[in-house]
Amino acid sequence: MKKYLEIAKAYMKTQLIWRWDTFIDVVLAMAKVIFAWILWSILFEGKEQIAGMGFYTMISYYIISSYLFQLDKSSEISQQMTNMLRNGTFSKYMVIPVHTQAYFVAMAAGKIVFSACICFFTTILCFYFSGISFVAAINIKILFCGAIMIALGLLFMAELNYFLGILTLKFEEISTFLMIKDNFSAFVTGAVVPLALLPEWMLSGMRYLPFYYVTYLPSMLLIGKQG
Amino acid sequence: MEIIQTENLTKRYKRYKKQEGLMGSMKGLFHREYEEKTAVDAFNMTVNKGEFVGLIGPNGAGKTTLVKMLTGIIAPTEGTIQVMGYYPNKLEKAFKQQYAVVMGQKSQLFFELTTEDTLKLFQQIYNIPEDQYKKNKNFFVDLFQVKDLMNVQVRNLSLGERMKMELIVALLHNPKILFLDEPTIGLDAVASRQIRTFLKDVNESKGTTILLTSHYMEDIKVLCKCSIVMNHGRKLYDGNTDLLFEQYQKSKKMTIYFENNADSGIPESCRILEKTKDKLVLEIPKEITEKVLEFYIGHYSIRDIGIEEEEIGSVVERIYREV
Repeated sequence: MKKYLEIAKAYMKTQLIWRWDTFIDVVLAMAKVIFAWILWSILFEGKEQIAGMGFYTMISYYIISSYLFQLDKSSEISQQMTNMLRNGTFSKYMVIPVHTQAYFVAMAAGKIVFSACICFFTTILCFYFSGISFVAAINIKILFCGAIMIALGLLFMAELNYFLGILTLKFEEISTFLMIKDNFSAFVTGAVVPLALLPEWMLSGMRYLPFYYVTYLPSMLLIGKQG
Repeated sequence: MEIIQTENLTKRYKRYKKQEGLMGSMKGLFHREYEEKTAVDAFNMTVNKGEFVGLIGPNGAGKTTLVKMLTGIIAPTEGTIQVMGYYPNKLEKAFKQQYAVVMGQKSQLFFELTTEDTLKLFQQIYNIPEDQYKKNKNFFVDLFQVKDLMNVQVRNLSLGERMKMELIVALLHNPKILFLDEPTIGLDAVASRQIRTFLKDVNESKGTTILLTSHYMEDIKVLCKCSIVMNHGRKLYDGNTDLLFEQYQKSKKMTIYFENNADSGIPESCRILEKTKDKLVLEIPKEITEKVLEFYIGHYSIRDIGIEEEEIGSVVERIYREV
């Protein structure tokens, strides 16, 4: 376990090297809050609620879900794996005493932790200075469950991308699989359109898909809705 | 004691035989023809503990495939293989703990970080106790004299410095076997010599068995007592490196500087490589070197004379052609 923590730490350190990337992360986190405010201000004009959510609840949902969506760095796993398998450099992970799958998960975790911290503090500061009220669950148990679900969701995405990366061994070219996964997960996770806006039959169908639990449900839990 | 042993080791690949042109590509969408390529063919080899073995052969000879099988990256199609008592492709942790691979194109270093950071990571990966880690690190850092470079970002290191760091990372856990693939590729003469000295020291002082693949015959000649020559997946030679080169070295280069402007005669079966007023460079069959030397010393007033071995590249070409 210690070795994987060290791997995560090494990748976290690599993120810290790039000062411009860090700056861009901060700017994007701020832009997200501003964009959400503008977008939902227009959509809420003359309305009290949309899909059972008030203005601030909707902004909070949007910010949390896009924050979680941005946290998911797992697509880098499949990209990196497919590139390395195709140019023959993947074997460097096979000759060291680590579990390759765990190595890539630790790698994604290291990258996520850094990004999570930067974006979290920027978002909090944005909310504070802009005066937008942030709607969040006040029940500790629910918050805790939400946090667990986020961790499991990110783990699921990392594993999924690892297995998609492995498909390179069979198909060599996996960009179609990755495109399907990206579009599908962006839609089903609720990061593009809040799932609450969709018809009930579609929503209940999505409950059977793991992506539902990656962004949408934790976001709803964190803003105090049960999903 | 045998540390690597293979018997009838064979690796066959199936590869897509694409027809040329756009039509060929279109046909390939519906019907594909595959051909079988034997990369390694019934290969027998034995390496003893502590040996420094050179693996040579032209491009496409099967060297990399052989090393990949020995390190467990790929499984053989046929034959038996045993490295330190393990079947490599099982990729057991205990097996991977005991060897290291350094391949020119597959860096284990993190380019954004320093070598010190990578070493810390490898300490955890190989579960090296702190005291052993410090001892090994200091040993290799002193040997390479790279103390000042340990906290420099890897991407800012030169190619030679990077290769030294790769070797330190690879050797940190005291592997029993070190597989090296072109460690001196692209390096200048000074860096190459440093790497060679380092590898020689490691082999002698730590008893590490080293299997070296290189196109630079200077590496093989200086470092490896034993060599294996392969081509088209087959083993062509397995034995003493000096004997191999001696056997295939047909000629020597003799450079003679005359005191006066001498219009010298040329002994039969010698070839002129260069001729000026007072200088003569000849390629002579190695069996008659002594006679030719006697001839010039006996007949001319000579200022200086030098005899060099045949260029290593020519010898190698001959080995690949004739073995």
